[in-house]
Amino acid sequence: MGRRFKLNINHNSEFELDLAPLLAVMVKLVPVLLVSSAFVQMMIIETELPQVVQQAIEEQKNNPKAPQISVEVHKNEGVKIVINDNGSEKVEVVGLNTDKAIDYPTLHAKFVEVKKAYPQVFKIDFNPDADVAYKDLVKIMDEARKVRAKDVRFPIKDIKTGQDTSTDYMFPEIQFSNMMDG
Amino acid sequence: MGRRRFEVPIKKNQSFTLNITSMTDMFTIMLVFLLQSFAAGEVNIEPVAGIRLPQSSTEKNPVDGVKLSISPTELKFDQKVVALVKNQNIDTASIDANDSNFIKPLFDELQKFNKDNEKLAKTGKILLQADQELPYSTLRKVMYTASMAGFPKLKLVTTAGN
Repeated sequence: MGRRFKLNINHNSEFELDLAPLLAVMVKLVPVLLVSSAFVQMMIIETELPQVVQQAIEEQKNNPKAPQISVEVHKNEGVKIVINDNGSEKVEVVGLNTDKAIDYPTLHAKFVEVKKAYPQVFKIDFNPDADVAYKDLVKIMDEARKVRAKDVRFPIKDIKTGQDTSTDYMFPEIQFSNMMDG
Repeated sequence: MGRRRFEVPIKKNQSFTLNITSMTDMFTIMLVFLLQSFAAGEVNIEPVAGIRLPQSSTEKNPVDGVKLSISPTELKFDQKVVALVKNQNIDTASIDANDSNFIKPLFDELQKFNKDNEKLAKTGKILLQADQELPYSTLRKVMYTASMAGFPKLKLVTTAGN
């Protein structure tokens, strides 16, 4: 009888993994991604809204008797929110803070207050003065767009189904109404 | 007799293996980070030199549209300079004599674009990159001219922020 061949396996043997090909791939990939990467994330301000909000905006546009809210921005005086409801006019003023800048937390609180009083209104007419900086306009639009507090929501009725629902949008539809002025 | 000088024995044909594990680790981390931050949106907007965009809390990704940019020195349609900006205002040479908000060279370029790219022009969308310090009066001229040329849907490009 022949002796059976036994494979000699050393269970304690060590070997080194050759990482050179992996490294070669990474060295090529990393520069490609570094060159094509966008480190500044850019967004746009647009009114892409839930359907219920879109319907409410359309209804507001078609209803000439709906309350009109316009926001005037003055560099030296602050922000004026003018509410025109069925002929009566109400003006809310948010002045400048101690640094002579717009008081954004107060402005946001004022927008929430106005929205609570007029939950059916989603559009505002924006009338900034000529000397107001673009960054201030963007900040004001941010303050008006959505409520920041998670627990505050505004009632809205789904026109198609007739169901009551709620939204965190305040005034997402902003129209530069003095754009055509001379 | 002087002592014999000690000499370090050096083998001339010695080979060694480089330990690249830590380098591979580093590259793996970089690769994951870069893949994560790789812009995968449908439209990529290239930042224009000299423009500091304002920060906004908006969550909307860019859409396709006609690209306009206003830096503190020039107004560009895509990559082409159409008017100069002086003291944060559009240069008077580019403004129509009868309408103080009308930028004639920009209107001409947009009209030309309307003929050449009907599909995109029909959307009426403008992607505006403007420097954050520019006054509204300067932006208004661009917005006014764009809407006169058939582009009333303005999309303001901002950087993501709080």
